[in-house]
Amino acid sequence: MEFGEVRELLYKLCALKGTSGNESAVAEGICEMLSAYADTHIDRLGNVMGTRGEGFSILLDAHIDQIGLAVTAVDEDGFVKVARVGGADCRVLTAAQVTVHGRSDVFGVVTSTPPHLKADDSDNKVRKFDDITIDIGLSKEQADKIISPGDRITFNAPFDSLAGNRIASPSVDDRAGVAAILRCLQLLEGKKTCRLDIMFSAQEETGGSGAKVGAFNSQADEAIACDVSFASAPGVSAEKYVALGSGTMVGYAPSLDYNMSRRLTEIAAAKDIPHTAEVMGGRTGTNGDDIQVSGRGIKTALLSIPIRNMHTAVEVVDLADIENTARLMAEYIIERSAENA
Amino acid sequence: MLEILKDLCNLPGISGREDKVRDYIISKIDGYCEYEIDPLGSIIAFKKGAKTPENKIMLDAHTDEVGMIVTGADSDGFIKFANVGGVETAVIIGRNVRIGEKNIPGVLGIKPIHLIEKDEEQELPKKDDLYIDIGAKSKEEALSLVSPGEEIHFESEFIEFGDGFIKSKAIDDRAGCAIMIDLIRSELEYDCCFCFSVQEEIGTRGAAASAYTVNPDYAIVLETTTAADISGVKGEARVCVCGDGGAISFMDRATVYDLNLYRKALEVAKANNIKAQTKTRVAGGNDAGAIHKSRGGVKTLTISVPTRYLHSPCCVCKYEDIESVRDLAKAMISELAK
Repeated sequence: MEFGEVRELLYKLCALKGTSGNESAVAEGICEMLSAYADTHIDRLGNVMGTRGEGFSILLDAHIDQIGLAVTAVDEDGFVKVARVGGADCRVLTAAQVTVHGRSDVFGVVTSTPPHLKADDSDNKVRKFDDITIDIGLSKEQADKIISPGDRITFNAPFDSLAGNRIASPSVDDRAGVAAILRCLQLLEGKKTCRLDIMFSAQEETGGSGAKVGAFNSQADEAIACDVSFASAPGVSAEKYVALGSGTMVGYAPSLDYNMSRRLTEIAAAKDIPHTAEVMGGRTGTNGDDIQVSGRGIKTALLSIPIRNMHTAVEVVDLADIENTARLMAEYIIERSAENA
Repeated sequence: MLEILKDLCNLPGISGREDKVRDYIISKIDGYCEYEIDPLGSIIAFKKGAKTPENKIMLDAHTDEVGMIVTGADSDGFIKFANVGGVETAVIIGRNVRIGEKNIPGVLGIKPIHLIEKDEEQELPKKDDLYIDIGAKSKEEALSLVSPGEEIHFESEFIEFGDGFIKSKAIDDRAGCAIMIDLIRSELEYDCCFCFSVQEEIGTRGAAASAYTVNPDYAIVLETTTAADISGVKGEARVCVCGDGGAISFMDRATVYDLNLYRKALEVAKANNIKAQTKTRVAGGNDAGAIHKSRGGVKTLTISVPTRYLHSPCCVCKYEDIESVRDLAKAMISELAK
């Protein structure tokens, strides 16, 4: 398989588990991976922050939290009641496999209503979120010893290598972005660049608090946020959405710095890096929004990686798109560094 | 028996594609009994016991599991499929599968929740709109990797969890198969026939033929059945309860069981201190549906392992119930032989 470096990064990153507000396990793992390229620390909100170089500064951001659930209670039958953490997709939860991160990790299955207990008209209907419970195979007494309200729950599914350079896995959103930034740092190894602030931010899925705080502490001259966006698939029209494998998506929006967007596009064209334009009419719905209005304000650009099945346990990405995102970031940094030397 | 159950559950074997399951069973029963493979692929085994029975007894479990079958690929390289057996949309979307001889990985994709229209919010995708993404970029590429007619099974490995629970695909009915293998490998008081029947999930087809071949007086079907003992469900709505032993049916949608035989099974369980319960709902159907009507009729009993989330990639049952069903089946062979 091609793109071995990106594949290895993504594999390691997707193996880490942490939802919004409970990213510590992920943060520690990522901190260790980042320390090969930058001086690192973890800040008050759980952001992994790194820095290398001096002078003119560019902030690179990707979020480390993945969507999941949180325990609200253990009922009298020993089943776990839950709340959403970030936009978990209720449609794909029935009989899904999860891990409840209590005092120890506990395996669970999201219950499924047997046919004879379903309301007559409910055959093809999505169940209500409040009806979701998790079977951990324990009595209430046994469960209470290991699990408490607030404990987080993540989705279990394998890291599948599909045809071509495609991968299906949970938490590609946004470990793909983290992988792109780490790959970019690999590509810049040995090269002198301007100051790079790397922010692997917490709590994006629940409103962007991590990025707001991390960006404030950075106060870089420019920022590039790296997240995932929608790729075409059945039901997701190729007229409106780009194909998987079509390269990195350069964001254009009233809220993004127009010069940065156009510069990224020029460089991609000049360096033969596959790319498309993703145009939005207002804000972007990513950390880019929070970074931009942090402190005095920071000029911000957005690079996105197209994926299928966002917010399910089978998010599909093309490794080529992660590699090309990394390449574009690296080329942009090299040019801006030279201009500001 | 747990190791054998684990191996069986992890093998692929949708209806009509039971080969690997059959080969494994043969590897475990070879040397312990005589057996033949019938034209449909069912294994018909004859186990010699200490004594020859007055009545001919047949035990039955099915080797096939529910899954899907490749019908083709669309112009963008997505795999189209049909269900094999009763598979609900809700339990396959957003899941991982494996296809065919080469075990090609694929996922059931879905339109992201962010892009759903208001009126689509409450509805699951229609069956015809479902597809499997194997990462292929074109129809040609897709069909170079998989072929129409190939089997598709759930990717769901066998896991022990909680307080004696098991999660796996295909507990229905590898649990029955594991029990029969265990009995064949043990010493039995009486001779007994064991049918590892194919194609139950698409209409109890293998058992129709195997029951004809064996021509028994009595039959005991070893199955799994829905346990609805989940959060908030009370009383008889639970159908049967994990941990309370084999669920014995008095009636389901395919069979009206001999009432005396049903009562006898509960008595024998009690007399031998084996946990057993009544299946408290007239629902479902199994190989008994074909067996009891075979030739001139066969008195048939069904004992089922209570299993949650049946026909999903994540069936859940309690291992001790599988042991209880085995113990009761063994006791019933002796009881019915006389």
